[in-house]
Amino acid sequence: MSIDWITVAAQIANFLVLIWLLKRFLYRPILDGIDAREAEIKARMQEAAEAEAVAKTTEASYRAQIEAMHAAQSDVSERLRQEAEAERDTLLAEAHARMDQERKSWQAHLTEEGQKYSIKLHRAGAGALLSLTRKALMDLADDTLEGRMAHHLIAQIKPMISDIERASGPATEAVFTSHAALPEAAQTALGAEFQAAFPNVTLAFLTDPDQAPGLVLRMGGAQVAWTVDSYLDGLDAVMQDHLSTGADLKAHPNEA
Amino acid sequence: MTLSPDQTILFDLWGLSLNATVFFTWIVMLVLTLGSILVTRNLRPDVPPNRWRTTLEVIVQGIESQIKEIAGRSDRPLLYYAGTLFLFVAVSNLLLVIPGFQPPTASLSTTTALALSVLIAVPLFGITSRGLGGYLKTYLQPSFIMLPFNIISEFSRGVSLAVRLYGNIMSGAVIATILLGVAPFFFPVIMDVLGLLTGMIQAYIFAILATVYISSATKTAPAPSPASPTEKETS
Repeated sequence: MSIDWITVAAQIANFLVLIWLLKRFLYRPILDGIDAREAEIKARMQEAAEAEAVAKTTEASYRAQIEAMHAAQSDVSERLRQEAEAERDTLLAEAHARMDQERKSWQAHLTEEGQKYSIKLHRAGAGALLSLTRKALMDLADDTLEGRMAHHLIAQIKPMISDIERASGPATEAVFTSHAALPEAAQTALGAEFQAAFPNVTLAFLTDPDQAPGLVLRMGGAQVAWTVDSYLDGLDAVMQDHLSTGADLKAHPNEA
Repeated sequence: MTLSPDQTILFDLWGLSLNATVFFTWIVMLVLTLGSILVTRNLRPDVPPNRWRTTLEVIVQGIESQIKEIAGRSDRPLLYYAGTLFLFVAVSNLLLVIPGFQPPTASLSTTTALALSVLIAVPLFGITSRGLGGYLKTYLQPSFIMLPFNIISEFSRGVSLAVRLYGNIMSGAVIATILLGVAPFFFPVIMDVLGLLTGMIQAYIFAILATVYISSATKTAPAPSPASPTEKETS
């Protein structure tokens, strides 16, 4: 066992050369390759991170758009609901107005029908009253209704002659109007009595179907009348009283 | 029986004799260099690494990680030095299985040369890292009384490195040679396998010890950050 110092020197030189050779052909290429690959991986990671950031930004943008759409959808829903409520209120108001109008129309129709019925009833009652009165007078006193009406009117006129003359002024014509034509005898009697009271006045007899049964004297501005209106009003009052009593009985049958 | 390949003179040219140690060292150097050139000749970032390149990357990164564990940082010059030590010793010992090959590490001249290189590399790395004054101060640590002991320790490291590697490799080769004479069919195979194992272990130990010595000489407090430009050589 000995040390050959020449060999030692040669081995040191060989070793230094080997260091240079391996540095040149092994370490640098390998480490540079690793560094390049790591740099490439790092660049790719960076690209991936940037892509991820872009994706997150896009995701956030889409989420914001979706939220905005949801908010807009809520607004539209709320607006549609309000419009629907307004439309409903309008339709309800129109329906109420139409119902009120129809109720008023119906009420007016009822009132009109009631008035027509009342007039019809009034006329029917008047006709019946006159017919019954005429028949009762004929049966009991052998007299006509028109004759009695003429007699009654003359009786009313006699104490009022001066008042009638003052009210009529310088009238030269007088007219007796009746619902139906007066009998000849009644006209004669009435004419005689009137000429006795007003000798300078010409007398005429007219019929007016629209007038209430009775007699009306018109002379200038004066008018004296006797009609069955007051009697018919009394009859109407009685009938209305009975009708209302009947309506109450219908509305409250248990109280009868 | 020759105990050292230094004694085997292959040829003599113009008064210069080429012994087996230098010759087989050149073989090892040729194998390492040609292997590296073959593997790294088409090394481009766009070409995916093949199995040989991956093998070399694993070896280089393994050495680098060992250095990082010991020194606490990545050091490219130390990687070149310690890595070459490891690869040279390991390949020399692995080629032992080739009949007729005499490992250069079985020569005390080679192990002495490697130990001397470590002995020179330690102060060189230390001076590069700490400066001349800073490195010389380490011999006075923790007190000037320790100066002779530190100097002795420095030289004894080299001697121990040289003798340890030489003893292990040479003894393995000698035992294999002796057993070849006693039982030529069975024991040499076992001894060669053991020689491979001890050779790899010795390569690892030699490189690790060199790294420890150099890193202890270059270690400064506080340790520089891994991104420091002094740690990574710019290529």
